[in-house]
Amino acid sequence: MTNLNVNVEHVTRVEGHGNILVDAKEGKLERVMWEIPEAPRYFEAFVKGKPYTQLAQITARICGICSIGHALTSLKATEDALDIEVSEQDVKLRELALHGENMQSHVLHVGYLALPDLVGEGSVIPLATSHPEELKKVISLHKLANELSRVTCGRTTHPRRLIPGGFSKLPSPLELENMKTKLEGSVPVLHEVASFVKGLSSALPDFERETEFISLTHDDEYAFYDGKIASTDGDITPVDDYLSVTNEYVVPQSTAKYTKNNRESYMVGALARLNNNYDLLSPLAKEVAEDFGLSPVCHNPYMNTIAQLVEVVHSVEDSINLIDDILDKGIEEQGLNHQPDIEPKAGTGVGAVEVPRGILFHEYTYDDEGRCTKANCIIPTNQNHGNIQHDMESLVPQILDQGEDKVELILEMLVRAYDPCISCSTHYVDVKFKR
Amino acid sequence: MKITIDGKEFSCKPGQKVYDVAEENDIYIPTLCLNKLNHEERPAGCRICLVELVGQGNAEPKLESSCSLPVHDGMEISTKNKVVYDERREVLELLLSEHEQDCRNCGISGDCYFADLCFEYDIDGVSVCSECPNRKDGCFLARDILCLGPVTHAGCNAFCTRNGDPCESCFGVLSNKDVLVFGLEAFGENGFTRDQVLEAAKVFSYEEVRVLEELMDEYDLLNKEVSE
Repeated sequence: MTNLNVNVEHVTRVEGHGNILVDAKEGKLERVMWEIPEAPRYFEAFVKGKPYTQLAQITARICGICSIGHALTSLKATEDALDIEVSEQDVKLRELALHGENMQSHVLHVGYLALPDLVGEGSVIPLATSHPEELKKVISLHKLANELSRVTCGRTTHPRRLIPGGFSKLPSPLELENMKTKLEGSVPVLHEVASFVKGLSSALPDFERETEFISLTHDDEYAFYDGKIASTDGDITPVDDYLSVTNEYVVPQSTAKYTKNNRESYMVGALARLNNNYDLLSPLAKEVAEDFGLSPVCHNPYMNTIAQLVEVVHSVEDSINLIDDILDKGIEEQGLNHQPDIEPKAGTGVGAVEVPRGILFHEYTYDDEGRCTKANCIIPTNQNHGNIQHDMESLVPQILDQGEDKVELILEMLVRAYDPCISCSTHYVDVKFKR
Repeated sequence: MKITIDGKEFSCKPGQKVYDVAEENDIYIPTLCLNKLNHEERPAGCRICLVELVGQGNAEPKLESSCSLPVHDGMEISTKNKVVYDERREVLELLLSEHEQDCRNCGISGDCYFADLCFEYDIDGVSVCSECPNRKDGCFLARDILCLGPVTHAGCNAFCTRNGDPCESCFGVLSNKDVLVFGLEAFGENGFTRDQVLEAAKVFSYEEVRVLEELMDEYDLLNKEVSE
């Protein structure tokens, strides 16, 4: 009978620190655990007392990968609380910024972090000699995504131009036109990368566990920036009631809070979005999804990586359309260093945006001077931790006879498939007082 | 004819100046007074292009301005060593001390080579205003938005103000008190009160806030009654 002892401390090629612990004696599973030992971040505590103008800049620092997503979610919460209007053009530009970030993050995960598993390497570096042409294409897509973020936000990470009420500086029509040409030029590259990944996708484990998928949904578009909270179990919840969906709770092995809705856990991210909004994918993205046999509702978490690839295609196509829209209507002039007139007032607001790893919530309460008195941020990865744990519990008994190395690899691949951003997710610190 | 610059040998013609030989061979030497478009105009007055002429035989090394130093065969020049760096830095400090730092209203703010050099040579006393392209009416202070640029150490190339947001002083408060006074005066001239400035200064350390408060008291700046 098999004895198994897997202890991965920490899982590599993910953001942050997470440990996998598996103990089995004589074929009997004794313990499976997904541990989050990372230190808590305290962002919600230190935005207290800060004026509404600074919150997006501060909370964007929660994450170096999803800084645009955090800034936008924060702005939406602030704008909801203070009743600030944002023009249609600025919403489109924000969606464009979000696409830039989505592509940045997905290409990073699919190309540099997940791909090595599929070709049987330990990191992306050996791919430079084994698959140089393919890797160059991945890098060119990453570069394009960085540029889209820079054109819309002023720099590739930590946006500067996103402010309550709109933008402090707008991209010029010429910048947008150049961006559009580059996006159009990337379509053949996307196809080549997709067919390269397709050739390797048999290496993805065939594992399914029925779970709930939660994401934003919108009647007219594949929801990223706006929408209501949808579940594959059929509920639609307005964003203001997000707490009734997330139901955070605390577990001893994690500094990140766990969440659950209808079932014991749920999943957020590219696969959840695709499962909820498949029909609204762009035509090319749908083609790629069909190529991989990816259709709703897909319960294989490993397919999240493929869903991300599909979303990159969607983001490119939708960005081209958005730029066309913006340029057709003409960019509305605004003064140099535009700062909208805003009257601070007391209020509470919630923002929800689909960031690369899933649905992100920020909620702020402001006093009548526009200073934050209470903040709550629920990050996608902390919504996924529970699902990772339950996936492991269901997966390990099926693969127990494959030996420690193989079990370790399959579990690491599972964690990586969720593309976790662990540092962002840690909130909770367990303080015990001895008396 | 051959000369050696920073250990590498280069051929040159009689009558050429060391600066020109260096420039031909992509060796960077800073200069403020030499006309980049017309090299005939070289007053040799700024002294920033100082290089070290390595002494031959028993001769002591000498500092010379490279734009006016004619080449001779076998000459040895060092453009990058501590003596040269320190001397250039001192020259820059002297120039800065005589320079009216009204960067907020200066026509070349945002594209100022002098400010870049001061930053390159780590001279404290150049504010973000020197790097900011929003001058006069475009200045945030003139539009009633409190921007910390005038009291903040340069070096970020005014990233935020270039992207339409006021400075939040990422690089910290200047330690050159003359320039700080200049910056605090700018706040006062634009109608900001002591309380408003101290509120914005919450991003600074306790030490930095104390320095600002002391300066306000010492020079009677941003006096609440006057500003209101």
